[in-house]
Amino acid sequence: MENLDHILLFKTDIKSEACRAKLEHILNNHEGISKWNVALDDSDCVLRVISYTLNHQQIIDLINHHGHACCELT
Amino acid sequence: MRVRDEDKVKLVKQKALESIVKEGFEGFSMNKLAKACGISVATLYIYYKDKDDLIISIAKEEGDRMANTLIQNFDPSCSFEEGMRIQWKNRYTYIVENPLANSFFEQLRTSTYQSRFLEDFMKKFKTVISEVMHGVVARGEMKPMPLEVFWSVAYAPLYSLVRFDREGQSIGGKPFKITDQMLWQTFDLVIKGLKN
Repeated sequence: MENLDHILLFKTDIKSEACRAKLEHILNNHEGISKWNVALDDSDCVLRVISYTLNHQQIIDLINHHGHACCELT
Repeated sequence: MRVRDEDKVKLVKQKALESIVKEGFEGFSMNKLAKACGISVATLYIYYKDKDDLIISIAKEEGDRMANTLIQNFDPSCSFEEGMRIQWKNRYTYIVENPLANSFFEQLRTSTYQSRFLEDFMKKFKTVISEVMHGVVARGEMKPMPLEVFWSVAYAPLYSLVRFDREGQSIGGKPFKITDQMLWQTFDLVIKGLKN
């Protein structure tokens, strides 16, 4: 059965294409991140990360460190 | 371990079709959909990457279902008229049994999602259509013609009748309800026009 445990979801304030672009390099090159995307059209600006090694807090720290609000989407 | 709940996925699909048909793609959002389904937004984002991914996935899945209905009992080697009769029956059945999906496809046609949907759908379907057309031409049952000309004569009349029926009125606002007799009368005229 498909394992969905590696999908990590966050509510953020990554609202624009420009904000997304700034994070692109960091997230693309992070070895713990397999795939990611931000739903810019969503009111929660949902960040979706697929990672087999990182937990929610580690992603939150990373996004906060680069100047954006980020919390787990429940 | 989180697992995909197939009942939830089914509900999401049904509600998504309903709200897209009712409100269009612009009025549609993951938040509203989650509310309509009584699930959290997070659950939606576990199943789908984002709104576009959800729409395209549903379109592809529904497209597969439609394609399967359309080729049911259909043998490319049977006579032109018989093959066409089965095609008409299958297409008509699909529309009658899936009015929601049919309206969804009509909206898709005028949206930016259409090209991404067609790319996949036509790969499977175009081969069947052109195989049939070439077989029919090779057996001398029909003159060669561009695929689009064939389609416009072969199937557009069916969709036109169905549209009148769904809107409940035909040209000039005249009340209209389709009957089997009308359907097959139109079919006979189409065959007459296409057959050698």
